[in-house]
Amino acid sequence: MTTFLQQVFNGLTLGSIYGLVALGLTLVYGILHIPNFAHGALYMVGAFMSYFFMVDMGVHYWIAMAGSAVVVAVLGIICERLVFHQLRNSPPIHDKIAAIGILLFLEAMVHMFWGSEFRRMSSPFGGVMNLDGVYLREQGILIIASTVVLVVALNLFLRKTMVGATIIAMAQNREGAFLVGIDANRVAMMTFAISGGLAAIAATLYAPLNLVYPAMGHLVIMKAFVIIILGGMGSIPGAIVGGMIIGFAEAFGGYYISTAYKDVIAFSLLVVILSIRPQGLFAKGAH
Amino acid sequence: MKTAKKLGLAVAVATTMGMSSAAMAEEVNIGFSGPLSGGAALYGENVLSGLRMAADEINAAGGFDIDGENHTINIEALDDQYSPAQAATNAKRLVQESNVPAIFIPHSGGIFALMDFNVEDDFLIMAYTSVPTITEQGNPLTVRIPPTFDGYVNAFTDYAIENWGTKLAMGGATHEYAKIWASMIEKAWTAKGGEVVAKNPMDYNKSADFFTGVSRLVSEEPDVMFVGGASEPTGLVMQQARQLGYEGAFIMMDQAKIGEAANVVGGLELLEDTVGVMPLGAYQTDAAQNFIKRYEEEYGKTPGSEAAFNYLALHGLVEAMEEADSMDPTVVRAALGDAIGNMDVGKNPYEVEGVDEKGGFITAPTMAIVKDGEIVEKEF
Repeated sequence: MTTFLQQVFNGLTLGSIYGLVALGLTLVYGILHIPNFAHGALYMVGAFMSYFFMVDMGVHYWIAMAGSAVVVAVLGIICERLVFHQLRNSPPIHDKIAAIGILLFLEAMVHMFWGSEFRRMSSPFGGVMNLDGVYLREQGILIIASTVVLVVALNLFLRKTMVGATIIAMAQNREGAFLVGIDANRVAMMTFAISGGLAAIAATLYAPLNLVYPAMGHLVIMKAFVIIILGGMGSIPGAIVGGMIIGFAEAFGGYYISTAYKDVIAFSLLVVILSIRPQGLFAKGAH
Repeated sequence: MKTAKKLGLAVAVATTMGMSSAAMAEEVNIGFSGPLSGGAALYGENVLSGLRMAADEINAAGGFDIDGENHTINIEALDDQYSPAQAATNAKRLVQESNVPAIFIPHSGGIFALMDFNVEDDFLIMAYTSVPTITEQGNPLTVRIPPTFDGYVNAFTDYAIENWGTKLAMGGATHEYAKIWASMIEKAWTAKGGEVVAKNPMDYNKSADFFTGVSRLVSEEPDVMFVGGASEPTGLVMQQARQLGYEGAFIMMDQAKIGEAANVVGGLELLEDTVGVMPLGAYQTDAAQNFIKRYEEEYGKTPGSEAAFNYLALHGLVEAMEEADSMDPTVVRAALGDAIGNMDVGKNPYEVEGVDEKGGFITAPTMAIVKDGEIVEKEF
């Protein structure tokens, strides 16, 4: 039983991080129809910014997280303004190419400033609690709690505020949104900002459990794409549920079968789910 | 840039020819193909840093003579992102465009790929890998720089069974090199009467978290755990094992370095009872300490074995060219053993004694054990 609970906890931790990263990705896709391959790079930049604030400037973990979220949100807006906005009338393939370009650019930048060393960023929550044989990492608890808070906050923002309503309107029907006078530029910038901020927070939450290095985004971005395909492209609940499915599949598959097969398990699930529901678990627009 | 360089070279060649045999420094290009971007970039850069340091020293000392003509060294480095196919393309390019007599390459997959055509294309492979089969293939133009790991496998296994217990949990990793290591240590362990209680290698490229894998290993209550991969993630795995209440010992695959792993987890305490390769910094010889000091001045960080081994290999290669008065790979290969053996000890941090008939550098094998928070050297 303890080993089972241990895997539940591990799965929740992993699923929360995957879900947060996928959430940013699905928002941008759902609203602007851009598959943002650079999202993993934003995540990586978020980790490096937090590292910079915490280790080089010596500020507290929470402040570093906030600072990093702001920086990456601004970076997201810059990407939108300088790249995706200019391509708004181009064929969709141009967005994809541009996104890969941004990914390479950001990685090269970070590589130039920080080098390729693995860096360790420890949070103030490095302890481990032993609950009757179940080892709970404090950072893991923090990740799960933060994810719940962020998802609830995002939902409230989208449903209860006027600004949020404009975002949802854009996602549901672009022409309709234009007709009622919604400023598409503002919505696009806001979407990128939220997406970037979420990526930075996810990275800062997760970095203390792993290492900070320029290629760290590759790990999560592929999974995030699997998750949003699984959950339904553009669906917010889909990103969270998809993240949890992959997280649990990895934790349980890794423990009860073998870590060597855990990706096989996760991808088999993807195949099974997509053959039953080709549009993903939650169809697009189900906000 | 490239064309400008070529043009410059053409002009230089033309003028030298015009000035008949004036003593003018000619550049010898030495190739490098390794990961310079992506997840393994750090490793590639470390290797390259050792090569560059040696090249700078040679050039600063006025180059070297071949047949009475002065030459300087230029490193042509290409990124292969650890891919054997890319390494092969790079090698072809280096040979055709830069006419390199030797290529340094730090990963077994790429080395195997290059061994298919290096004799035909006439260049020397300076192989930085400890996979034993590299030198077993009888390729006359391949030189293996570090010691093979089969020696480590036996020594580590013997020590661990004797001192720590017979139940082994296999962590390790999923890349090719780690798989070869794992199968060898499994064989050695069972042959010596030990028992393998769990097998769960970590995928350092695809796993975001090792907690699950590690908890599986710990739950089998092993006496010894086999871990390995790049130093930093390996350190994380060891730290997580300790967090999960594991109090046993570790066997560390030679790719990971005890000192670097300790940096990640914040000290040697968590690594108590670990057997692994001797970190360069723990060698108390003048040759090693002197190299470390110069490297730190140059790069502002502590060198690992990658830097040191490739540093001494390039120095050896140049000495061999000088002694043989030739750049022909076959001739240089034949002269390499003596050249390295006679090399000034300042250029030879590991005090390599020569090259054996199969092409492996001869070094005295040592291992390190973490005992009471300190690294202790053991000969085997």
